[in-house]
Amino acid sequence: MGRYLSIFRTFARACLVRDMTFRANFLLECVTSLGWMSMNLAFYVLVFQFTPEIGRGTGWTREPFFAFVATGLIINSIVQALFMPSAEELTDMVRTGGLDAVLVQPLDAQFLLSMHRVDFSSFANGLVGCGLLAWALARMDHAPSPTAWLLYPVLILCGVAILYSLVIMLAAATILLGRNQSLYDFWFYLTNFSRYPAEIYAGPWGGPLRALCTFVIPILLVVNVPARVIAQPLEGGAWGLVALAVTAAAAALVTSRLVFQAALAKYRSASS
Amino acid sequence: MSGLPTTAAGRPGPLAELATRLRIWWTMLTISLEERLAYRGDFILGTAMRFLPIVTQVFLWTAVFTATTRSDIAGYSRTDIVAYYLLTMVTRAFSSMPGLAGGIARSVRDGSIKKYLVQPVDYVSFLLAARIAHKLVYYAVAIIPFAAVFFVCRGYFPPVPDAATIAAFSLSLVLSFLLGFLMEATLGMLGFWFLEVSSIIFAYMLVQYLLSGHMFPLDMLAGVPTGFAGVSVADLVRWLPFEYTAYFPAAVWLGKIRGMELVRSLAIEAAWVVVMAAACRLAWWRGTRRYSAFGG
Amino acid sequence: MNPVIAVEGLAKEYRVYDKPEGLAASVKSLFHRPSRIVEALKGVSLTVGRGEFVALLGPNGAGKTTFLKLLSGIITPTRGTARVLGHVPWERADEFRRRFALVMGQRNQLWWDLPAAESFRLHQEIYRLEPARFARIRDELVDMLGVKKLMLQPVRDLSLGERMKLELVAALLHEPEILFLDEPTIGLDVVAQHTIHEFLRHVQAERRTTVMLTTHYMKDVAALCERVVVITHGDVLYDGSLAQIVDRFTTHKIVTLDLDEPPEPGRMERFGFPCEIRGPQVVLRIDRSRIADLLPEILRTAGVRDVSVEDVPLEEIVAGLFRAAPAERAVGVGA
Repeated sequence: MGRYLSIFRTFARACLVRDMTFRANFLLECVTSLGWMSMNLAFYVLVFQFTPEIGRGTGWTREPFFAFVATGLIINSIVQALFMPSAEELTDMVRTGGLDAVLVQPLDAQFLLSMHRVDFSSFANGLVGCGLLAWALARMDHAPSPTAWLLYPVLILCGVAILYSLVIMLAAATILLGRNQSLYDFWFYLTNFSRYPAEIYAGPWGGPLRALCTFVIPILLVVNVPARVIAQPLEGGAWGLVALAVTAAAAALVTSRLVFQAALAKYRSASS
Repeated sequence: MSGLPTTAAGRPGPLAELATRLRIWWTMLTISLEERLAYRGDFILGTAMRFLPIVTQVFLWTAVFTATTRSDIAGYSRTDIVAYYLLTMVTRAFSSMPGLAGGIARSVRDGSIKKYLVQPVDYVSFLLAARIAHKLVYYAVAIIPFAAVFFVCRGYFPPVPDAATIAAFSLSLVLSFLLGFLMEATLGMLGFWFLEVSSIIFAYMLVQYLLSGHMFPLDMLAGVPTGFAGVSVADLVRWLPFEYTAYFPAAVWLGKIRGMELVRSLAIEAAWVVVMAAACRLAWWRGTRRYSAFGG
Repeated sequence: MNPVIAVEGLAKEYRVYDKPEGLAASVKSLFHRPSRIVEALKGVSLTVGRGEFVALLGPNGAGKTTFLKLLSGIITPTRGTARVLGHVPWERADEFRRRFALVMGQRNQLWWDLPAAESFRLHQEIYRLEPARFARIRDELVDMLGVKKLMLQPVRDLSLGERMKLELVAALLHEPEILFLDEPTIGLDVVAQHTIHEFLRHVQAERRTTVMLTTHYMKDVAALCERVVVITHGDVLYDGSLAQIVDRFTTHKIVTLDLDEPPEPGRMERFGFPCEIRGPQVVLRIDRSRIADLLPEILRTAGVRDVSVEDVPLEEIVAGLFRAAPAERAVGVGA
């Protein structure tokens, strides 16, 4: 275990050194992600001009909603920083034979393939998210209980775990199918569903969609559960969601690992 | 070039030249189509998936409506919003030019633009022809998912507008194609002056994202003040070219813009096309001169 | 004596989809994709003992790289068994992976952005090498290949030859019992090739490492090993010593004559063997069994100033083997 941590530190350090060397580029990337985020925040501010709440009786008024957005920023920035860079490189690795080199080493392939690159500029969004969360909590009527504060980081990790599992499934698909651009588009579209509180998915179409994205591909548990815990009173149904999130995270990690191992077993390798 | 009508001097006449051009253009078309079909997994999934973000937006607005007593937001009812987003998809199918600016900048950077400087081929026209080919191919393959989605959602649309509105809509689509093309082409030409155009392109994308109506109907900006008395952000945005790449044709079809205002907006759109065409020409002319001067 | 590598009937098949040509075919391909099965390896059996140096020789697409990938556990076979150091390679046990090394020519194993020194350090952690011993071996290898000053530069900035040397250092840091090399000298200049040959010979002799390398260069083979396995079309065509290839696969020798003046027409042809006449020089290809009686007669021909009798060049023999249709194969196990 310590070995893996130490190896990860080496990778992270190398990436940090490179980012600091190309400082201008690094700053540009921070500005890029902050730019997109600001546009979206402006949009949300606009929406709240027209309504006091997202969905009737859901509890997502302005400040809680921004706490939700902040939670999303934090979780997504962790995934974008730690796992996505390596996953994006996987297509090239499959093509150039770099994957072969990984398979020959006495180290867990999933670890190497999902964590050998760190994108520090993605943490910028997460930092802003923390600030936004502080702002929202300060202006909310409801103050989170100590239990909520304890649960929040745990549930953030659960959200990260679920997204990580999805990244691994995508990686497995890349290994099996080779080049496939629509896979990464798929990531964007899938995570797009989790941008707003799950309560918006209501009605004859929304209900089933919500169920699908909660119980089958638990994308709606990623941001919703920690956000709800910190921004709304912790009672009744919320506890059920907490249990569900933790279970889903564990199940997702196990499932994705099995799928990944299966993909490696069927690996074809680029032509000689 | 035997078999083609020639002038008295024996050189290929204008008819022959047209024939050659059409032939080249036809080849570009078929190659593009083959390219698209080659990635069959991408093709089938990709086209349908473009509608997914709209699904989320629609649910969001529906939730917004349930929590408020208003029957419409900035003139858009619940059903109008769905129709609006679907129509912006149509506009963007005309006006979005993926990879155009970046491609031009890249070919300046790696020198492959040189061959267009020495050949008697008009680079911009060539790019335009290529884009038209790509677009036609795209429409040919995308028409099925588009038609399916529009059919399923037909309940959200108001009754089909009158002929004049349809004509205005069609005209605005053609203009939005030209505008989108010219804006991105000009941006790409900035590559003659700046090595890293990507930050400029990014800034353009960002502004476009917010101000084109891609995210929300621009009428909603009517309530946002600018600091100048009586002038809202929506009034300012009206004069910018961005709204024509997503918002304008959709609003026309839905009847949100009528009469004199419609004529005026079309005129502004046409004016922007002319302005950007001139800007593009100028950028090409000055840019290639600069490029040759520096040896590339 | 237990073989270090024992392979029995190893075969690998792939399903390959044909790319459609033209518009009509592209549309059709949406509904039905024609495919066929490619047999990369048709059922190979061989054994390798400890300390042997084996070359897998064959044209492109013959299956040699596929074979190496199977033995290093990168891919799983369609049929057959293999045991390397007692392990089944495609089970990818950590124990197994610690005991061998794979170096692929022109493909990078080292981490691109890291300087080689960092890559080596990572290697030490991944393979759990004892620090003092690791440092000693690293310095030894680095000195042998003369790459000390390259260690601190990012690997991506180095030339192909320099990268290859560093890859070899990295491969040997954990003192593997088996070294697999896939086309290690491809794309390298003559000096670099020579350095690497020397290095490999030294390493193999000193540590009794078992080495298996694939190549399509005769130079690699001639310089490095006695045992050659010729693979074509997924089959083993020949497995034996290099020296015996000549005996096995050639039927004639090449006799070159330097005459005083160009021969009269028909003069050389009457010996009944193919001959090539270039001015005063004549090249005859004479059946081995007839050399003994024909040579004196040839020499008695007036005007022979010089004569040389040679084997058919190895390159030619091997090229001929590469071209041989599968039906003509004759598996020989010699040495």
